[in-house]
Amino acid sequence: MKRSVVKAYILKEFTELFRSKLIIMVYLMPSMIMLLFGYGIHMEVTHARTLIIDNDQSHFSRMLTAKFEHSTYFNAEVTLMSETEALHRIKQAKADIIVIIPSSFEKRLLHGQKSEIGVFVDGAFPNRGMTMESYVQGVILDTAQQIGGTLGKRGGMITVNSRNLFNQAMRDEDAIVPGLIGLVLLVAPAILSALMIVKEKERGTIFNFYASPLGRGEFLAAKLIPGFLLHSLNIFILFLWATELFGVPFRGSFWLYWLAAEIYILISLSIGMLISVITKQQIVAVVLTIIITIIPGFLYSGILMPISSMAGESYIEAHLFPVMYFNHIVYDSFLAGTGLASAKTVEYLGILILYAVIFLTLGTFLLKKELK
Amino acid sequence: MSDLKVNKVTVSYKKQTGIKEASLQAQSGEIIGFIGADGAGKSSLMHAIAGVIRFEGEISYFGHNYHSPREAEKIKPHTGLMPQGIGLVLYETLTVAEHLSFFANIRGLRQDAAFRAYQEKLLHMAGLSDFTDRQAGKLSGGMMQKLSLICTLLHRPKLLILDEPTTGVDPLSRLELWEILDTIRKEEGTIIVVSTAYMQEAAKMDRVLLFDGGEIIARGTVPELTESVRAYTFEAGACPEKEDVESDCFTFDRRSYSLDPLSVPRAEPTLEALFFVNALRTKRAIPKIEIDARESKMEIPESVMEARGLTKRFGNFTANDHIDMRLRGGDIVGLLGANGTGKTTFMKMLLGLYPIDEGELTLLGKSIRSSADRQELKAKIGYVSQHFALYKDMTVRENLIYFANMHHIPVATAIKRINRYAHELGFDAYMDHSPNELPLGINQRFSVAASLLHEPVILFLDEPTSGVDTIARAQFWEMLHRLKASWGISILITTHYMSEAEYCNRVVLMRQGRKIADDTVEKLYAEHPDAENFEEIFLSYYRDEI
Repeated sequence: MKRSVVKAYILKEFTELFRSKLIIMVYLMPSMIMLLFGYGIHMEVTHARTLIIDNDQSHFSRMLTAKFEHSTYFNAEVTLMSETEALHRIKQAKADIIVIIPSSFEKRLLHGQKSEIGVFVDGAFPNRGMTMESYVQGVILDTAQQIGGTLGKRGGMITVNSRNLFNQAMRDEDAIVPGLIGLVLLVAPAILSALMIVKEKERGTIFNFYASPLGRGEFLAAKLIPGFLLHSLNIFILFLWATELFGVPFRGSFWLYWLAAEIYILISLSIGMLISVITKQQIVAVVLTIIITIIPGFLYSGILMPISSMAGESYIEAHLFPVMYFNHIVYDSFLAGTGLASAKTVEYLGILILYAVIFLTLGTFLLKKELK
Repeated sequence: MSDLKVNKVTVSYKKQTGIKEASLQAQSGEIIGFIGADGAGKSSLMHAIAGVIRFEGEISYFGHNYHSPREAEKIKPHTGLMPQGIGLVLYETLTVAEHLSFFANIRGLRQDAAFRAYQEKLLHMAGLSDFTDRQAGKLSGGMMQKLSLICTLLHRPKLLILDEPTTGVDPLSRLELWEILDTIRKEEGTIIVVSTAYMQEAAKMDRVLLFDGGEIIARGTVPELTESVRAYTFEAGACPEKEDVESDCFTFDRRSYSLDPLSVPRAEPTLEALFFVNALRTKRAIPKIEIDARESKMEIPESVMEARGLTKRFGNFTANDHIDMRLRGGDIVGLLGANGTGKTTFMKMLLGLYPIDEGELTLLGKSIRSSADRQELKAKIGYVSQHFALYKDMTVRENLIYFANMHHIPVATAIKRINRYAHELGFDAYMDHSPNELPLGINQRFSVAASLLHEPVILFLDEPTSGVDTIARAQFWEMLHRLKASWGISILITTHYMSEAEYCNRVVLMRQGRKIADDTVEKLYAEHPDAENFEEIFLSYYRDEI
């Protein structure tokens, strides 16, 4: 491989990238995906519109309504409307939750009798419905304990003290944003490298490679190095978005994150190269790259669900795509910080390197220096 | 011992054979010409020689034998390939100077004083010395081809393979391209293998190979080849009338070709004769084109379209500068000029695709002002663009029905017309094929059919014959003349084949956005008594002021 030849080709690639303004896409797309998905996906529910029908108007019932009113999870409104009217409000999508406190609420409790509180939750979106339901149950349970305490019953003896590890605040951003880095760095470099090779095929300039003594290694180096350098900068940009804009904590080693990300970009670039082997048109290359990278990148990123909870085919599929291994390291670096002390991280880093080597070799082998 | 020896080379694609068992030999300093219809196997053989496609057989270059692209790697430092297509190997956003240094670098050339001198010389020969900072995408077609050629010449190849370098290039640039080739061949002793659709160019070559259906069917020097068809070339006009369609006689451009002796005297054969005689020999029916009168009867006024002082500006650049032109009923007007002189812009303005910046345009006596008027233009004009605007994923029939729908033609009428045109223009056999399976000549005819569906009074054709082989071109002109005769249609056509200018009633010559001549062919010949052919007349207009 002649260095001067590769250098000249790379210079040409950079000139083209800048003049064709493709460079804008290189930096706009990753940040766009990060911002859109980062703000767009929300698992937790806040400000659920809650109608509380307090038929009791007692000390205890007000204790309960106060708890709802003071929580950021609910926008509580205490009304005296009828049950049917309240249900109608849910149907109109003007309310999410109805809590009905029976008229004999306090009296029954003071007599040590069971009292039932009616709760209706809009379950149109099952996840959201379940979340709201558990919030409501939490609030009621909390109140019940407090009432039990004042009444001197045994109920007051037990309090649940749960703590979420790694993401103590249970913030959505912390759970989603690091996973997005794995998605973005899989999609963007792959599109770039596929475009850069297929563009020459579509235009016809690929003949300059076919008909000259230029080697396959030289050609590929010239095609992959610019993408590698440009996207290396994205590793830092995405890191800054995550920590500064979304306020995700970073507890691990930056060096590990950086190293893993560079290897991962190499994998992504070689996926683009493999796609360019089988496509002839830029548009086909882009669509194919997006399908091949975005779907697994999203599903198996650990954003939606942890890989460890997958079973059967999805478990196997998740292990086939490199995104899972990279995201393990990213989540670890951001939230846990175990780093190389964990054998799994070391193993996954090794797997990433293996992927890079296999894909690059495969691409070099499959890229033919002749017309089809 | 030959320097280049091609021995029984076969190139096969998935579905068809590109070239079958082709052999040829060439010496240093020789120019070998490939001629033949498209799809005849010229490009396939060139790709095999350049080592960019897998092939069977053996090629030997100065004692290096190779049987595959991989084995050809060792000769690639000594070869240069310019594939078919204008500016195909250029990068749009790179400037002329950047191209030269890129090609020099990837070839690993030492860029010393001698190299720079050579580079300057090439730039000068190509007339690109003043344009080194211009991006390739902004060059005219002719300049792109000259740049491609000098980029291919930078490493002083000893074997130069050029695939239709002059197709779609204006006569002046073509002449300059050939001057470069001739100089290089003499100075460097290069073997040049070149294909062309221009027979005047083929006549300049040392040896010519005629391709047909994936085989080389004739070879020799130009005199040898023309001599071989002398017996079948006659003066025009005496084809015996036969009822059966399988005609064994064909008349075109003042000559008749027949395998049987005719009663008229023999004429001086040209390279074109080779094509006609070959078609007659292989019993390939040259379908007779007959066109009935149009369905909608209409009076065609004396002046169909008139442009006065039409001007089009793009920013500071004046693409068309006060052009006057008049199209009479039944006129065939040839619009000629170098690449980038504004022919296409002018056509698009007449078509109503571009708003008019200055001047007046009248159609059938009515002035065109508003956009509604411009809509009216489109209804009266049939247009075939440079790159036939066909949908590649639909069959010919589906394409035609689609175009009929666009013109709001009732389905029954449309289908009747489509079938009629298919029969009259001789493409009924291809109705259920998709355009990219068909030769250019067929696509060109059915593009014309598409533009005729709404029975226009004017037909605009933008370089319809570029890259189309001799026979298809002959048929095309035959079709235009019949169309004119039976429809009284006016035709405005651009072309780079100067020989085709002679089939027009009138020619309009353009240079740098201005009209520089507008006259009948006869008068232009009278004004230029020294000119042997129309190309010389054309060049004289361009040379005068450069």
